Amino acid sequence: MQLEFLASYMPIFTSFVVLFAIYLIAALSLNMEYGYGGIPNFGHVFFISVGAYTAGVLTARTVDYLASIKAGYCSGQASVMRTAYLASHPIEAVGLFVASLILGAILGGLFGYLGSYPALRLKEDFLAITLIFIGDMGRIIARNEEGIVCALTGLTGIANPLSFIKDVNTRSIAYALIVVAFAVLAYVYVQKLAQSPFGRLLKAVRDDDLAAMALGKVVPKVRGEIMIIGSALAAIAGVLRTFYIQGVVADDFQPLITFLILTMVILGGMANNKGVILGTLIMTALDQFISPSFMSMLGITVEFDVTYMKYIIIGLIIILVLMFRPQGAIPEGPVETPALELSRSSEWDVEEKLEIGVETGSGGSEKREQGDNQPAG
Amino acid sequence: MDLSIPLMNSLTLGSLYTLMALGLTMSFSVTKIANFAHAELVTVGGYVTALLVNWMGFGLGESLIAAFIASALLAVAMDEGVFKPMIKRGSKPLFLLVASIGIGLVVRYILFIYADLNAVITLQAQTNVQIIGRFGRAGITTMHLWIFPITIASVVLLHLMFHYTKPGKALRAMADNEDLARVSGVKIYTLRRLMWFIAGGITGVAGGLWAAYSVITPEIGWYALLRIFAASILGGLVSFWGTIAGGLIVGFAENFGITFMNTYFNVNTAYRPLISFVIIVIVLLIKPTGFAGFDLMEWIKERRKKGGE
Repeated sequence: MQLEFLASYMPIFTSFVVLFAIYLIAALSLNMEYGYGGIPNFGHVFFISVGAYTAGVLTARTVDYLASIKAGYCSGQASVMRTAYLASHPIEAVGLFVASLILGAILGGLFGYLGSYPALRLKEDFLAITLIFIGDMGRIIARNEEGIVCALTGLTGIANPLSFIKDVNTRSIAYALIVVAFAVLAYVYVQKLAQSPFGRLLKAVRDDDLAAMALGKVVPKVRGEIMIIGSALAAIAGVLRTFYIQGVVADDFQPLITFLILTMVILGGMANNKGVILGTLIMTALDQFISPSFMSMLGITVEFDVTYMKYIIIGLIIILVLMFRPQGAIPEGPVETPALELSRSSEWDVEEKLEIGVETGSGGSEKREQGDNQPAG
Repeated sequence: MDLSIPLMNSLTLGSLYTLMALGLTMSFSVTKIANFAHAELVTVGGYVTALLVNWMGFGLGESLIAAFIASALLAVAMDEGVFKPMIKRGSKPLFLLVASIGIGLVVRYILFIYADLNAVITLQAQTNVQIIGRFGRAGITTMHLWIFPITIASVVLLHLMFHYTKPGKALRAMADNEDLARVSGVKIYTLRRLMWFIAGGITGVAGGLWAAYSVITPEIGWYALLRIFAASILGGLVSFWGTIAGGLIVGFAENFGITFMNTYFNVNTAYRPLISFVIIVIVLLIKPTGFAGFDLMEWIKERRKKGGE
């Protein structure tokens, strides 16, 4: 009885976990670019879509070739045949999944490198304007070209790589585990990167690129690198999404998605990966639960489309956070270097020493508390 | 091929883009905020006009005045409610941009809910449009008699205001250097309010004209925003005359460009926004100041000098 009750909620739970993990990868990559690198990549959705399109096109074209499907690329018949082929050929399905991930990351990185061209030359807000519109232009091209993802109808039949597993529940749980594994890897990677000398260099460039240049750092190279890394990560999120929803539609990649991911970063705390997890959790919950299907499940009927409500809330969160807590829920902390660790574990406190000079003792900690209360920056 | 239709379209849309972009240029030059919520001023103006005309039976003139007031008040509210407090807390310009995106989302989706509840997601002001003349194959309608005079009048009035009135001159001083203006006794917060009122109002009127000229949706502002930014960026986001030139260039480039490419290269007309996008990217990368500081007479003199050498 109890188990059956739980099982009925399983699909909601797995879809939540998968979406959370995909959003988390996207948000971590935006945090890398914007939080750490100071590049306002508000065309983020474009780089996600690059991965999504790559997965769709690569899988569909290869399967069409392997199974010699003669029906049109965009036809429903071809989509059904592709799904059937992938379900019966596990090796090809998994191989295509891996190939899509690799190719998606490479293409994402390539576009990121192209995107870094304006990023080196424009002032922050002009760059943000340009990148927002770059994101939308990618969508406009994709929704009008038959050859990429079938214009408005969208490309379908990109079956899940695990579709050889017959039981739907097991399959979705297994795929959720794969996506979560990717999210964990992404988290560990960006966390390591942020704590590395490269991460500190990024922060230096973000805070004062002139000073970084004066210290002999090659600022354009740093910015180009972070755009490549961030965009490749974003593209991986796109690949995972395509295989999850088993298709790809150009109009899914509205600029609004960028703003949703940006809200995750801002709400959680810029340049803080733990904060981003928190922000992503909150925003994914919002995204999932303020939806017509969930509302009807709760038995709430509204006269208008509930998704409008979601965007109003996103807008309000953006405004309120930027007004009252621009550093986010969990503010940016110091970089975890071995020296900092040592100072924490040892008897005497480096930060304390620095602040109060030679004196230590009870007076010192009081002084430190006062210092902590002061608003940052 | 017959160029009269793209020519009329270019002039009409160019005028509308100019009107919308003037508001953005004004607010950017004074406050240095790249205001993405500017899109919503267009939409609100459009909806106010269309609803007043269709439901209340108002004339277009009265409705446009109402649109002016509605958008102007919205613009002032945006500044008082969000931008000013944020600036006082020392926010970075980029945060202001992001906040303006947030405002845009809130206003746009409140409009969406309203439009959904009242079944007016797509809407056009039902005005009595009559063809009064012909220009080649293109008709000149009564709509054009609204759009062109209003654009010209706004441009002239703004020019007079900025060059011959005290608040106008003070605003130019503020755009140049706010601190210096302030110590010279300019009441910057009062003037800011005035500036937002006028900038919002003009944009609202442009939205209203758009609602009478073609169909609007709650996303019309976002759709127009790319063109508005293209026009403003052509004017370096600070230059008044540059913005006017920018609006017309965007109007012409889009209509002629897409007609030309469609006829000769069979390019889908849905790619129209790409033209504005290319304008933005090229201007920002090659000459970020746009037309700002560009003096035609100086330029001709220089060319003559070079020719004489």
